[in-house]
Amino acid sequence: MRFAYYPGCSAQSTCKELNAATHVVAANLGLELIELPSAGCTGSRELRAIDPDLFLALNARLLALAEANGLPLMTVCNTCTLNFLDVNKILAEEPERLAAVNAILAKQGLHYRGTTRVSHFLWVLLEDIGEARLRERVVRRLAGLRVAAFYGCHITRPPAHFGFVDSRNARSIERINEILGCESIDYSGRTECCGFHTAAHEEKIAIKLTGRHIKSARDNGAAAIVTPCPLCHTVLDTFQDQMERDLGTKLGMPILHLPQLVGLAIGLPPAQLGVAHHMVPVDLAFS
Amino acid sequence: MAERPQILAGARNLGRDETGDSPAARLARLREGDTVTARLFRFDPTADAAPRFETYRVPYTKWMRVLEVLTYVSEDLGGDLAHRWFCANRMCGTCAVRVNGREVLACWEPVEPEMTIEPLRNAPIVRDLVIDRSGYERRVLDLTPWLERREPYAGFPEPLAHPAMAPADKALDCISCMCCFSACPVVGLGDETNFAGPAPLVQLARVALDPRDGIDRGRIALERGAVFDCVSCYKCEEVCPVSIPIVTGAIEPLKALAFKSMARKSRHARVFLAIVRARGRIDPSALILGVQRLAALRHPLRVLKLWRRGKIDPLKTLFGFRLPDIAQIRQVFAAVRGGRP
Repeated sequence: MRFAYYPGCSAQSTCKELNAATHVVAANLGLELIELPSAGCTGSRELRAIDPDLFLALNARLLALAEANGLPLMTVCNTCTLNFLDVNKILAEEPERLAAVNAILAKQGLHYRGTTRVSHFLWVLLEDIGEARLRERVVRRLAGLRVAAFYGCHITRPPAHFGFVDSRNARSIERINEILGCESIDYSGRTECCGFHTAAHEEKIAIKLTGRHIKSARDNGAAAIVTPCPLCHTVLDTFQDQMERDLGTKLGMPILHLPQLVGLAIGLPPAQLGVAHHMVPVDLAFS
Repeated sequence: MAERPQILAGARNLGRDETGDSPAARLARLREGDTVTARLFRFDPTADAAPRFETYRVPYTKWMRVLEVLTYVSEDLGGDLAHRWFCANRMCGTCAVRVNGREVLACWEPVEPEMTIEPLRNAPIVRDLVIDRSGYERRVLDLTPWLERREPYAGFPEPLAHPAMAPADKALDCISCMCCFSACPVVGLGDETNFAGPAPLVQLARVALDPRDGIDRGRIALERGAVFDCVSCYKCEEVCPVSIPIVTGAIEPLKALAFKSMARKSRHARVFLAIVRARGRIDPSALILGVQRLAALRHPLRVLKLWRRGKIDPLKTLFGFRLPDIAQIRQVFAAVRGGRP
């Protein structure tokens, strides 16, 4: 099973441990990742807003690189995933924009036909590796570990891509939790926003939005939060001390990247999964 | 025409079928003769110390909508429930409430077997399900969302081509129901930000994207709407009863106008663009440093901890790195943006 792998900016800088964990977990699950040679930015939210044509061209280039290798594209970032999905949709619906983008890519010897399937590690686990195979690989069921899923936004909304009337009905991470043997808890933040996309210029939005959800997870008995998105992880983990000051209470909530949780259950040592890089210590008890 | 990528059904909407989260499944949950149980939010701020919930049982009739339940409670059960509605036809935008935590138009939403019905958030309560819309309306008026022409009026009927109106087309569908305003988490932070909220910005986009308008709407979006404080969570799009692509069809185009009009003040976007052009991808530390400048270093112990945990790399941040294929990325920049900064 081979995928072109797009780690995105965060997994190569502030969340390097996510990149490391993804590689080691993928290898253990029989997933071959072919890293794109020059994985530039997908534009996050800023670039796509201020220059939609640039956004299309930069993403089409990445999609074309995967297509040239005949591979589906796997990401580990919610926002990058949605950017790729949006670009695929726009280029499929607006042939004149596809032609304009291809005129630019032609100078690099690239051409995009629009066929690259975009997936996220969370979806690859369930759709490509499959529940049965993942279940087989679990050697250390995380029994007794109470985990709160923090989906983030761009993997459950907008409804045009994911089809939920109410995105709170998303259950994919809870399904993974069940396979890994841990207990899912319900709380206020499952499909809420971490506020990452305003954090550079207005970090109090992220702190105010997210602190209460971590508190809700704690109050409902979570021992850890797991997220499929490095942007959410950045807010939940690195801003947590500021949320504690804002709320006037200790949270101390370990935040796991999804591949780290999977890695623990398939028997990989925590050190190999990079948990030492987190700001909030990851010290989990499971039987 | 591009070929369509292969889409595997499954994980991306896992939970939808199990929870019956589709319009058809929602409609199929009740049959004639069943009873709908409605827990209604009751509160009179002039008389009650705190809000309470009252439970009512209402006989289900085919195709029943939430508004019929509210009407039944207030008219047939002899209650004094306060709720607002006018057209009962998804046009007037006055009957929005929250059903089981989700903003809906009472006149359009099929009933659920069990419903908790509450007023919209982010507005004071007048009584029960009736909210005070004046704060929202002030935010709308503050954005002056009416056409102001530079060119003289061409006379009636004014020549107006469909393609020229296409960008504003979806925003023109807004019925000001406030569903998105209630669902927006940033509006929910109150005075913490100056963000105008999704619905007021949709109202602004109606004219900002209209070719007849001649005002600098980017400046208004930034200075009076704080448009860059939108977190892009799509909660607004999820609840919009008329399916306006609020983030992509209104707020992002307003961000583009704001950047065009006031690039220096659109600091986050400007620094982001410069970093991607120079390096090919984002170094978050360089972004924070570029946007916040010295304020980024106001918690030195925190910065030190981030460094020790490998979260930041000052050498890379200060002296930069470039992707191996930076030339190709710059080529894309040059082809699309030319010499524009």
